[in-house]
Amino acid sequence: MQQTPKVTKRGFVWEMKHNRSLYLMCVPALLLLLAFAYIPMGGIYMAFTNFSAKDGIFGSPYVGFQNFSYFLSGNPYFWKAVGNTLIINFWGLVLGTILPITIAICMNEVKNGVFKKVSQSAMFFPYFLSWVVVGAILYGFLTSNFRVDRKTGELIITGANGIANRVLMSVGATPVRWYAEAKHWKTIIILLDVWKWAGYNSIIYMAAMAGFDGSLYEAATIDGASRFQQIRYLTIPMLKPNVVILTLMCIGRIFFGDMGMIWGVVGQNPTVLDEVTVIDTYVYTSMRTMGFGFSTAIGLCQSVMGLILIVLANTAAKKINDGEGLF
Amino acid sequence: MSMTANTPRRHSNHIKHTRNDRCAKIIAYLIVGLFGLICLYPLLLTVTVSLTPEDVINKDGFRLIPRTLTLDTYTYIFAHSGARILKSYGVTILVTVVGTLGSMLVTCMIAYAISLREMKYRNVIAFICNFTSIFSAGLIPWYVVCANWYGLRNNILALILPPLFAVWNMFLMRTYFKAISPSLYDAAKIDGAGHWTIFFRIALPLSVTALLTVGLMYALSYWNDWWHALMFIDDRDLYPLQFYLYSIVSNVNAVSSGRVPSGAAANIRLPAETVKMAVTIITIGPILFGYPFIQRYFVKGIMTGAVKE
Repeated sequence: MQQTPKVTKRGFVWEMKHNRSLYLMCVPALLLLLAFAYIPMGGIYMAFTNFSAKDGIFGSPYVGFQNFSYFLSGNPYFWKAVGNTLIINFWGLVLGTILPITIAICMNEVKNGVFKKVSQSAMFFPYFLSWVVVGAILYGFLTSNFRVDRKTGELIITGANGIANRVLMSVGATPVRWYAEAKHWKTIIILLDVWKWAGYNSIIYMAAMAGFDGSLYEAATIDGASRFQQIRYLTIPMLKPNVVILTLMCIGRIFFGDMGMIWGVVGQNPTVLDEVTVIDTYVYTSMRTMGFGFSTAIGLCQSVMGLILIVLANTAAKKINDGEGLF
Repeated sequence: MSMTANTPRRHSNHIKHTRNDRCAKIIAYLIVGLFGLICLYPLLLTVTVSLTPEDVINKDGFRLIPRTLTLDTYTYIFAHSGARILKSYGVTILVTVVGTLGSMLVTCMIAYAISLREMKYRNVIAFICNFTSIFSAGLIPWYVVCANWYGLRNNILALILPPLFAVWNMFLMRTYFKAISPSLYDAAKIDGAGHWTIFFRIALPLSVTALLTVGLMYALSYWNDWWHALMFIDDRDLYPLQFYLYSIVSNVNAVSSGRVPSGAAANIRLPAETVKMAVTIITIGPILFGYPFIQRYFVKGIMTGAVKE
């Protein structure tokens, strides 16, 4: 056997010995991943059982694909949750791209330092709030305390009313019992999501714009292009790669709803929850009503779909982005 | 290019453009200002509502500038559920401090290790980390394993351990460590320093801004976490602040849905609007006070994360 140069071919054992301290540094993090990400993957087996807490994960009776066929074949709640997830994510993606880009472009035009600083701080603030806090603040907006007299049809205010109802009443419209009328809530949830992340996402776009070649803009100015034209023909086309990457990332996660958002804002209001249930919240609620095996099966389908989509999105990103993927 | 050939046509074009540009500027200021207000207004409203007497709220509704200001709500809260809130504050502070310190140690160690080119299996380890963000077991297996095998139910560790290591933060930290010049490490190695010494004496002290950035990100997520309490905590003594607020708001929410039987609804004593808003302010208090100082670190972190190496 030919002797290979020592530097290039050294075995696993040599590496472990030589860089022992470096590998030791990785141990705590890897243990945490093992405990909270990899070992739970073994629990996926629950999807194929009729799980009961008494028998444990591997002691429960095996039922094959029964859990899957049950929710895939005409379980209306499941399909409603899938539909809601797609609708909320789709609009979140569209509005959540347009608004931050608009803000980033406008921010670039703002030259007044104080104004810029204050407004950027204000826009970034929602990112720092948990969904529970957002839910509490939203409640102040949508509180409704009124009743309509049965005989006269007269509006009687019985307590505090939030801004939304006060605005409605001031233009002569009938106020709304927001927390008892489900139909408005998809819109509310989408707008809240866009509101919370707009400041954060606009920072990403501003970071991209900071890297643009300034001489292009100078040349455009000398050629007599207006600011509008510069935005239209320089800024927006140059932002395209960022938009594509972020969009692909969103598409990779299109089957994942934000349970923290839904649960934190809607809480345990059954009327509204029905309207905005996403797959993740359905998994959580069906855990109690339909059993652990059933909801694990849904979660597994979601994870597998997610994996496929992310791999596809990554391949697409590599094609577009000169071999650089999403991760 | 010089503008010597300034024909009349070009000249008028130029004037049109300056007017156009001013128009662009005005629109930009309007949009930025308006959206800034939309983000700030709810917060200001929450502050003022918590400072308004309850009967004024009931009469006038929520107003940004109340006619009377009072601290009654806060004194009321601390008189009636002060012990509860202080306990929750204690839980949140404990979880945030212990969690953040632990997270930083765990995250920085692995980030430092895999930032070095001399580590042969750094890409394998990076993939092990990455894979958890593209595929997960799902909520239920995770929950059953945590609750039944690790015994995290009603255990304060349930609030600390599961979020202790965030892969995204690790990659952010790795980016910062990669920016340190390897020649510094080499010099230390010649002096006989091992990796532990280099890590603690060179890499960490050179990354103070990065440590603050990532540390604050961890601290914020621990402070804002109510999710793990929803999953694992029933014992009111272990409620973190966010979950205390959640339990108040979601009760109110459920009652206003109109689906709770009226008999039951009558039994649930709803906190007044002002109380809810005051608890909200108490919950986000430290964030409010710290915001002007911590904000820029987050901006820096997001920008670093957004630009791929």
